Amino acid sequence: MFCIISFIVLSILGIFSASNRELAREALDCVLRRVTLRPCTTGFDEKMKARILGVVITRSEGAARFLNRNFERLAWLFFGLLLASVIFAVRGLFLFYTTGSCNGANSTEFCVFDPTGANNQVSTTSQVCTIPVTPAQMTLNLKKIDLTQFPTLNPGSGDNLFMIACYHCEFSRKTYPIIRSLVDRFHIGLTFIHYPVKEPTDSFSKLAYCVNQLQPDKFWSFNDLMFEGDKANLDDPTYINGLLGKAGVDAKKVNACIADPATETAVKKQMEQVASTGFTGTPTIFYKDQVFVGPKPYRVYAIALRGFFYWLR
Amino acid sequence: MDINKIRLDFPFFAQNSTKKPQIYLDTACQSLRPQVVLDAMNRYYQLEPACGGRSMHHLSAAVSKQVDETRMAAARFFHASRKEEIIFTRNTTEGINIVANSLGLAAGDTVVISGKEHNSNLIPWQMLVRRAGINLKIIPPLPDGTFNIQEFEQFIASGVKLVSLGMTSNLDGVTIPAAEVVKAAHRAGALVLLDAAQAAPHRPIDVRSLDVDFLALSGHKMLGPSGTGILYGKYALLEKLSPFLVGGDTVATSTYDSCEFLPPPEKFEAGLQDYAGIYGLKAAFEYIQKVGFDFIQKQETSLNEFITGEISSLPGLTILGPADPKLRGGIINFTIEGIDSHRIALMLDQMAGVMVRSGQHCVHSWFNDRQIKGSVRASTYFYNTLEEAAVFVENLKKIRKVL
Repeated sequence: MFCIISFIVLSILGIFSASNRELAREALDCVLRRVTLRPCTTGFDEKMKARILGVVITRSEGAARFLNRNFERLAWLFFGLLLASVIFAVRGLFLFYTTGSCNGANSTEFCVFDPTGANNQVSTTSQVCTIPVTPAQMTLNLKKIDLTQFPTLNPGSGDNLFMIACYHCEFSRKTYPIIRSLVDRFHIGLTFIHYPVKEPTDSFSKLAYCVNQLQPDKFWSFNDLMFEGDKANLDDPTYINGLLGKAGVDAKKVNACIADPATETAVKKQMEQVASTGFTGTPTIFYKDQVFVGPKPYRVYAIALRGFFYWLR
Repeated sequence: MDINKIRLDFPFFAQNSTKKPQIYLDTACQSLRPQVVLDAMNRYYQLEPACGGRSMHHLSAAVSKQVDETRMAAARFFHASRKEEIIFTRNTTEGINIVANSLGLAAGDTVVISGKEHNSNLIPWQMLVRRAGINLKIIPPLPDGTFNIQEFEQFIASGVKLVSLGMTSNLDGVTIPAAEVVKAAHRAGALVLLDAAQAAPHRPIDVRSLDVDFLALSGHKMLGPSGTGILYGKYALLEKLSPFLVGGDTVATSTYDSCEFLPPPEKFEAGLQDYAGIYGLKAAFEYIQKVGFDFIQKQETSLNEFITGEISSLPGLTILGPADPKLRGGIINFTIEGIDSHRIALMLDQMAGVMVRSGQHCVHSWFNDRQIKGSVRASTYFYNTLEEAAVFVENLKKIRKVL
């Protein structure tokens, strides 16, 4: 048993040290002998045991005595721990690959593969949004929201993603192109819900609402343009008017719509519904019974849409 | 002599102040070297890196002179009649192999060895048993490891061609009564080859007084460079032997179908020699002579007595060989019941930098016959101190207590 543990540990240490590589080779030889039911004649286990005991005995004779008497038991214990660690590591790797987090979907706990937590960052709704939400008390779902009032791309696809995003949210801006490419690749539907997580962006919900109300056929061209370029320009009305023009949308009509008190009412109602989903920040993406909070890698969405082997399709 | 002054001559000890402690108790395997030996070797590589005995230029002449002087030094060291009785070899094993393969032993000839021989004095004869059909007689040691001279004398009378014995055993440090052995062998008409690998570094050897026919030894156990050794042979016998390893520098001339061998020792020294090693070997002989065998033996005995006294009562510990440390030279070889010898050796090294040998010490036959897996051998030399011995003892006691 000791050979197996040593082989694994020394193989890892061998990445950094040639002497450990040599020991790892000896351990491997020992392992191969053991698995083929032959005695380990290399003396590796004896050598390592002696070295370990030699170190321990100089610090504590009692500990050395205990180690000597229980060496094999301890080897088994460490093997069990190692096995558990390996299982957890493989699980973490799998979860990271499929959900973007080692600890499961949308977990913000530390993940060694994503140490900065980039896959779970959101622009939070907590303080600045118009309609405050109380996320911890809600389960994320779209049950209380009338989705037909929001712009939908490929409405007849029967397979729909729902994206709550904010033009001004850098994480939304990171995610939007990914979602768009998935929509194009897998020919699925996409419902876009703008939610103003940043105070200066309140008006953008009205803007999106008005474009969709006035010229729904131009909405997606306009939406794509809003997520392109430097987000700092979004605070410039001239720039926005330019984007409207570029998308073929009548800017005057849109601005008039924005100024209309009825729009204010309609959008506020929409935002109340959006808040009822329990989401905590943007981007939040719904797909069937799955929710993705934060900017996930492309593969995470693709796996959700088409399974683990999405790349074969 | 001042041991501390002696230790200053060995660069190995100088590093102890900067690195982790190192206590070298493995001289039976290979000794440490004084600076003079290293300097002599460097002199060859730095100043005289030429072929000896071949070219005519002054550098070659300098090398030839040094080789000749080393041969002379060796002859003086072992009291040989003439320098031509000294053959340079790589080690004891090569010396024994030269004798084994040059004597012309044939089917029915008998060779006698002891039951404690190093593989170098066992395997060459085993090969001749298979290849030439010789008989190999093994004289088992007495229970305390000493040589069974009675059985030897009884057997030798039956007609033996060669007696080949380790003069001092690397297993337990026991030295055979070489003079008696040679006398008995010669009375029976047998030649005698002594393996002096473990004897030459520790006691004076006078080959003429012993009247031994061949004597093989290694330089690396007596302060000399590794890869050096000497085979002594009586000149008259060497002249009769057919060389075993032949080629360059062994012949005076050759034609396409014949050659004329040079006289001894050249005919046994095929190919380019280890000149640097030969330079170092001379320095080693001179250094040992300067220290003197009286001091060497006194120091070894006091170390062995101290260690033996301290460890012999440890539970489960058995010292191989006679109980009297005076009979074991610088060697303390022991087993501890239930503890693997390699584990003890590795732990001593790990704990306090104490370097000892573990395993079967190239005397597998003795261990296998007794079904002993291995032993731990501490071997001291004149450069070891009582303080070092005390560290060894202290850590061994700790291991015994814990394991």
